[in-house]
Amino acid sequence: MKPLTPADLEKLATQPPVPAPEYVRVQLDTGGIAAGAEETLGAFRLALSAANLAVPVQRVGSHGRSWADPVVEIAAGGLPPILYGSVSAAVAPQIVAAHLQQRRLIDDHVVSTARAATAIAAPVTHLLVLDTGVGEAKTQFFQFSFAEELKRRGLAEQVQVVRALDLGVYDEGVAVQLLPSGVTYTNVLAPDVLRIIEQSIEGRKVIDDLLWKHPDPQVRIVLRNCGAIDPEELQDYLSFAQGYQGLRKALAKTPEQVIEEMKVSGLRGRGGAGFPTWLKWNNTRIQKAEPRYIICNGDEGDPGAFMDRSVLESDPHSVLEGLLIGGYAIGASMGYFYIRAEYPKAVERVERAIAQAREAGLLGKNILGTGFSFDAKIRLGAGAFVCGEETALIASIEGKRGSPSPRPPYPSVRGLWGQPTAINNVETLANVSAILLRGGAWYAGYGTETSKGTKVFAVTGKVKLAQLVEVPMGTTLRTIVFDVCGGVLEDKEIKAVQTGGPSGGVIPDKHLDTPVAYETLQQLGSIMGSGGMIVMDSTDSMVDVAKFFLKFCVDESCGKCAPCRIGGYQMLQVLDRISRGRGNIDDRATLRRICQAMQKASLCGLGQTAPNPVLSTLRYFDDEYQAYIEGGPSYARKMARAAAGGVEPARAAVPATAD
Amino acid sequence: MNPSSHPPGDAPVPSPENWKNDEAALLTMLEEIERKHGYIPHQIGDEVSRLLEVKLERLKRAQAKLETGIRRDVQQHVARWRGEEGNLIMILHAIQNQYGYVPREVAMELARELGVRLARIYEVITFYHYFKLQPPGKHNVTVCNGTACYLKGAAGLLNELRAQLGVGEGQTTPDREFHVDVVRCIGCCGMSPAVVCDGKTHGRVKPTDIAGLLAGIRSQAKEAKP
Repeated sequence: MKPLTPADLEKLATQPPVPAPEYVRVQLDTGGIAAGAEETLGAFRLALSAANLAVPVQRVGSHGRSWADPVVEIAAGGLPPILYGSVSAAVAPQIVAAHLQQRRLIDDHVVSTARAATAIAAPVTHLLVLDTGVGEAKTQFFQFSFAEELKRRGLAEQVQVVRALDLGVYDEGVAVQLLPSGVTYTNVLAPDVLRIIEQSIEGRKVIDDLLWKHPDPQVRIVLRNCGAIDPEELQDYLSFAQGYQGLRKALAKTPEQVIEEMKVSGLRGRGGAGFPTWLKWNNTRIQKAEPRYIICNGDEGDPGAFMDRSVLESDPHSVLEGLLIGGYAIGASMGYFYIRAEYPKAVERVERAIAQAREAGLLGKNILGTGFSFDAKIRLGAGAFVCGEETALIASIEGKRGSPSPRPPYPSVRGLWGQPTAINNVETLANVSAILLRGGAWYAGYGTETSKGTKVFAVTGKVKLAQLVEVPMGTTLRTIVFDVCGGVLEDKEIKAVQTGGPSGGVIPDKHLDTPVAYETLQQLGSIMGSGGMIVMDSTDSMVDVAKFFLKFCVDESCGKCAPCRIGGYQMLQVLDRISRGRGNIDDRATLRRICQAMQKASLCGLGQTAPNPVLSTLRYFDDEYQAYIEGGPSYARKMARAAAGGVEPARAAVPATAD
Repeated sequence: MNPSSHPPGDAPVPSPENWKNDEAALLTMLEEIERKHGYIPHQIGDEVSRLLEVKLERLKRAQAKLETGIRRDVQQHVARWRGEEGNLIMILHAIQNQYGYVPREVAMELARELGVRLARIYEVITFYHYFKLQPPGKHNVTVCNGTACYLKGAAGLLNELRAQLGVGEGQTTPDREFHVDVVRCIGCCGMSPAVVCDGKTHGRVKPTDIAGLLAGIRSQAKEAKP
């Protein structure tokens, strides 16, 4: 690829190339590949060439629906783009035969993305049916009813009735979606079958009392290109994703203006602490020392979080663009990606992105003829959680043990090699390129007063649809868990949501209606963290969960400062005693005391936040600790079961001993 | 291999194939001879010591070759990162990628090549979980213990592995066939609990699936052999 000129970029901005109208996109990220997406890709190529079809098969990143891996998106045969989930290599030829050759969809694989349409413009071609209620048993019955009625009216040829895999609607009875318009009906009962066929399919009128009107709670800014472009091709990013237009706009401004734009956007660091990005950049910029550095922190060590991995794998160029813009703003000439070695695919794709950008003249000397010079390198992490902390991360890039050092001086004053350094999280940088492209005011239109924009969460644990979710700040936990992720696995009672990984805390079900923002979560004794969100049901023991996270922090403590090294270990001993039913009544007070000492006296964030899981479980689940101390683990489980079932413990004891 | 199948009286000079790889077999054979003759004939003693010298020479040559091999590898890795500040971790990554762990000889060579103390290299290796000092087993079974996997029963999978293989977290079976490890999170939380067998990730694994997974690895290894 020859070096880009500003004129090339401008042309791409004003007259972007038209994307191919027909495609088969296979989502190949680590999760997808683990589920067999590469075999699926091969199966599609084979089936398409056997059928003599010239539809291009594209490799894209993941848009986040990891529960449905491998995921394939198909636009062909005059149908709107359709998402298929759980597409194994065996399903691929079926899809080619049905979708591409006969314009028919196949049962049990369609994942609907269209929602909240209010008009039926074109004739209905497909009916998606899914029972979203508990048990989900009536799907087949309704599919049969619709199909029979359509056959009776001679419409069976025009309209196909398909069992869907997911309609984006949960716990709303039987849901029906009309394609291609995307009009969705919920709580459909048997008599409604006739109405829908008569009024909506024959008459193209919307039935108002059945209509699903809730818009999708998700807003995709960070994940805007994930699953839509080939992460290994710079040309895709330039042509179809307005790639590097944010950089072009940034370079037309002064660095101060770029920082001002960031200030307007209100973007705060997405790594956990929520420090305003513009302030961090400004603090670095005003230092006199040269050279300066910018680092992208991709050391996503929280167990249960995979946002950064997914963004780096699915849209590496947007992060690189953010790094370039940040480098320009603070006056840096070198940027580092610090990525976990456990993410080989992410490393590979970022490496490729850097090489391509260098070739295209987007990295190197005199970028786009503006006199700005910048280069980027990758440094690998080596499995140390504490290296997510700024000063430890810097030590690790310098090739040393990742021990943190006291702040101040902050890295913005004395960072990498003793020079001013800005460290930004992957998600923060992916936001930066979007903000420069569309303006800070646009970004500030999302979110709450103090927490602007959107946040990506990796929702996992006992949840039906474990996936990446991007919602505006201020969305409630309940919306995220129940409206976006479909609720708790096996429809059990939700007990708590854990946010912020080992540095965070648990949020009990009674606080699920809290809007998610930096401050609100802190008030509840948790933190936003990098965005891991783990759902726990009534069978999960909070004492065990606290022990799990604490064990993690004790393992990961670097041992430099005493409060963290000794305090963590002592707490673990106490917790272990309690979880085995050997606790005594003073133990909770002891735990609280050690927690406070650790919070106050530890050197870095790891030690200061390690007590959070213990403190928050003590705060909300004191009864459970009590039960553990009084009667041991099996008694505590019995009590928890009784509490969840709403039965008096004394009565619950009878069936519990029977089984 | 059984020395008694070659009556020493008929063939006083033993075939080197019989014992050259096996000290125990050699000793048994010599004992056998002594029992039969009451002494060890000098021809046999001479032959044995000659062969031992040949063997020693071969070993020395292999050792020297290994050392130059190691030196060449280390020099290559260092050359790739020379001039970059803070390159130690990246070089260690390259070494671990090549050997599967960081062998002591390589670390010593690296210390010479970089002109730093060995302790400084070990300080870094032992700080990071990713770097290993022991050779991995022939087959690696890694159980993810991220929070999602933990909640969905990673502990049960580890127990089942212990029952099947007799080893737990961070251990290798005595025959060096299987190495069991636990990782923090492999980012496949959508398919938890996850187990990685020789680089292939298996999602939604139940304890009852473990036997099948192990059998699959064993049979694949068998297929690959002939």
